Amino acid sequence: MAIEFGYTISKPRAIDIDRNNLRKSDEILREMPELQTCIGCGSCTAVCTAGNLTSFNFRRVHTLVRRGEYRGAYEEMNKCMLCGKCRLVCPRGINTRGVVLLLKRKLGDF
Amino acid sequence: MSFFAPFCLPFMIGAAVMFVLLAWKWGSWLWRLPEADKRLVAKGIFTRATPEAVWETVRESLLHRRIFRIDPLLGYMHMSLAFGWFLLISVGWIETVAYLGLRYVPLQGHVFFKYFATGLPHKPAFDFVMDLLLLLVLSGVALAWFKRLRSRALGMRRTTRHVAGDRVALSALWFIFPARLAAESITCALYGGGSFLTGGLGAWLAAHVGVMPLMTAETVAWWFYSSCLGIFFVALPFSRYMHIFTEIPLIFLRRYRLRSGEKQSSYDHFQVEACSRCGICIDPCQLQSVLKIDTVQSVYFLRDRRYGMLRREVADNCLLCGRCAEKCPVGIDLNTLRVNSRDALRNVPDERRYDYFQGLDRSSGEGRVGYFAGCMTLLTPRTMQSMERIFEAAGERVWWADREGGVCCGRPLKLAGETDSARRMMRYNTELFRKHGITTLVTSCPICLRVFREDYALEGIEVLHHSEYILRLIREGRLPLGRTTERLAYHDPCELGRGSGIYEAPRAVIEAVGELVEPAHTREEALCCGSSLANTAIDDGQQVALARNVAEELDATGAGAIVTACPLCKKALGRGTATEVRDLSEVVAARIRPAAGRATK
Ligand code: SF4
Ligand code: SF4
Ligand code: SF4
Ligand code: SF4
Repeated sequence: MAIEFGYTISKPRAIDIDRNNLRKSDEILREMPELQTCIGCGSCTAVCTAGNLTSFNFRRVHTLVRRGEYRGAYEEMNKCMLCGKCRLVCPRGINTRGVVLLLKRKLGDF
Repeated sequence: MSFFAPFCLPFMIGAAVMFVLLAWKWGSWLWRLPEADKRLVAKGIFTRATPEAVWETVRESLLHRRIFRIDPLLGYMHMSLAFGWFLLISVGWIETVAYLGLRYVPLQGHVFFKYFATGLPHKPAFDFVMDLLLLLVLSGVALAWFKRLRSRALGMRRTTRHVAGDRVALSALWFIFPARLAAESITCALYGGGSFLTGGLGAWLAAHVGVMPLMTAETVAWWFYSSCLGIFFVALPFSRYMHIFTEIPLIFLRRYRLRSGEKQSSYDHFQVEACSRCGICIDPCQLQSVLKIDTVQSVYFLRDRRYGMLRREVADNCLLCGRCAEKCPVGIDLNTLRVNSRDALRNVPDERRYDYFQGLDRSSGEGRVGYFAGCMTLLTPRTMQSMERIFEAAGERVWWADREGGVCCGRPLKLAGETDSARRMMRYNTELFRKHGITTLVTSCPICLRVFREDYALEGIEVLHHSEYILRLIREGRLPLGRTTERLAYHDPCELGRGSGIYEAPRAVIEAVGELVEPAHTREEALCCGSSLANTAIDDGQQVALARNVAEELDATGAGAIVTACPLCKKALGRGTATEVRDLSEVVAARIRPAAGRATK
C-alpha cells in the first residue's frame, strides 16, 4: 500500500494519460503537420523491420498518439530501428523517420 | 636604442592577451584528450609522422595548396595573406638582425622596426623585399575586399555570413596592412628610406605635405596600425582566425592518428576550431544548390557548434553525403563531427528497447558465404532475386542472414545520433555472423557495407560489397556473362564512393555487360540521390526535387538505363526520372549465359 504524501516523484504520467489531453498531440502535429495527411493505409507497418519481429505496429502507435493516447507509446517507438523502410513506402510521402524521432522526443518523459 | 613608444601599447597588450588565450585553449584541449589519444601522441611524436606534419603545415597552412586546387585565384588570396604575412614577419626578423646584429630586440621592436630604425643607415635591398612582400599581402587584402563584393569571380557562389567576433577581427585585419603602408610611408616621407612602395609614396607625401602635419600624421598612423594589430590579436581566439593557430596542431594530431568518433571528445575542438569559415563547403551542398536551404552547411554547423548555439534543426539537416568534406581544404572530418553532435543532442540509451533480439535467428541456408540483404534490399526484391541467380550461377553455397527478416545493420540509427542503441544491433548481428561461421559477408547495400567495415569487429570475415563480389566471380571465370552494347549510366552512391572508396568495381562490372557512360558529376564529385537516411529533416517533396536534379544529369548521358549499386539510390532515383533505374545485380543477372558445364550435366 503506497502512502499518500500529497506529492509524487513518479514521472508526470498521472496527468497526461487523460484521454482528452491533446497538448502533446497538438505539439507533435504542429512540428510535423504532414502527419495529418496519413490515410491509415498501414503500408508503413506492413514493411516494418521491427514489426516483422515483434508486435510493434507503427501505424497504430502514431494514430493513437494523435488521439491523445500516449501510454506505452514511447516504449513501443523504441522498438523501431529507424531503418527507413516505412518512409519509402508511405503513399503520402510522410517523413516517417522524422515522426519516430519526434514522438520519442515529445513522449520521452512519459 | 630603446624599442618603446607609447603607440606600441595596443599591440603589446593585444599580443600578450592572445598568447595567454592560445596557451590556455591548447593546453586545456590537450589536457582533456582521452588517455588513448594521449598514448597515440606519445607513440607518434618521435616517428616520421612529425617531420611529415611539419611539411604538411608548410604546404597547407602557409601555401594553401588544397585551396589552389579548388580555385587558383582564391588560393592566391589565402596564400598572399598567410604566406605573405609570414614572410613579412620572418624577413622582418632577418632585417633586424642585419641592422643590429644578433641581439635581443623586444617583439614590438621587430614589428615596428621601420619606426625605430630611422636613425640607421638604409639597406635598400631589405627595403625592396619588404615593400614587395607588403604589396603581396595588400593584393590579397584587395582580393578579399573584392570577394566580399563579388564572390563568384573567385569561383564561389556564396560566401559565409559572420558572427560578431569575426566582424571585429575581419575589420581589423582589413585595415592592418593599409595602415602599415600609411605609417611606413609617412615615416619615409619624414626620414627617407623605403623602396618603390613606401619610399615612393613617402616621396610624394614629402613633396605635397608640410613637415608639421606629417609629424602629427605619423603618430596617428602608427597608433592606428598598432591598434589594428592589438584588436585583431584580442579578437583572434574568438573568431574564425583561430584557425590559423588551430590548423597546425590539428595537422600534427591527425598525423599521430587521432580521429573523431561517434562520441564527442577533446580532439574535436581541434577540428571544429580549425575551420576558417572559408565557405568552400557551401557550394557543393545540394541542400543549398537545389533546395536553397542555406543555414545548415558544414561551415554553419561548425560555427554553431563552436559557439554552443547548435540547434537540432541544423545538426539534423544534412545528407552526410560527404561532398563538402571532399572539398574542405582543412580536411575536417565533417560527417563524423555531425554524427557525434547528433549523439550529444539526442542519445538517450534505453537498455530494454531491443530486448526482443534475444534468441532471434531467422536466417536460412548454409555456406561459408553469408549474404546480408539489409532493410533496403528487402524493399527492392529484384535485387534480391538477381543475387539469388548470381549465387546459383556461380555455384555458391550461401547463408542468408535476413531473407526472412532480421535486424537492421544499425547505421541508420547511428547516423541519427542514437549510437548506443545502434551498438546493440551491431552486437546482435556480429553474434549471428559468428554463430553461422561465415568467412565472407556479401551485402548489396553500401550503408550496411560501411558500418560492417567501420564499426563491426569482424576479424576473420571478409566483408564485400556485391559489386566487389560479382567482379571477383567474373575475374575468376565463375560467372559467364554475355556483353551487349546497351549504354548504362552509372550513379555513384555516396556511401559506396566517397564513403567506402569503391569506384572501380561497379564500373568494371558494368563494362563486362554493356557500355558504361558517366554523368557530369561522377566519382568523388558524384551527387547524392537525396534520400539519404542521414537526413530526417527534409520532406518528401524536397527529396524528389533532389532526385530529379540528379536524374537530369544521368538522363543527359542518353543512356538506356541508369545503374546504381545501392537499393536506396535505386528507389530514390526512380522517383526522379522516367528512365529505368536498375541495381548492378539486375544488369548482371540478366546477362548470365547458361553455363556450358551445367547445361551438359
Ligand atoms: S524505420 Fe522503424 S517504423 Fe519504419 S520500417 Fe524501420 S523499424 Fe519500422
Ligand atoms: S504508410 Fe503513411 S499513410 Fe499509410 S499508415 Fe503509414 S504513415 Fe499513414
Ligand atoms: S568546413 Fe572546411 S570548407 Fe567549410 S568553411 Fe570550414 S574550412 Fe572551409
Ligand atoms: S554532407 Fe552533403 S548535405 Fe551535408 S552539408 Fe555536406 S554537402 Fe551538404
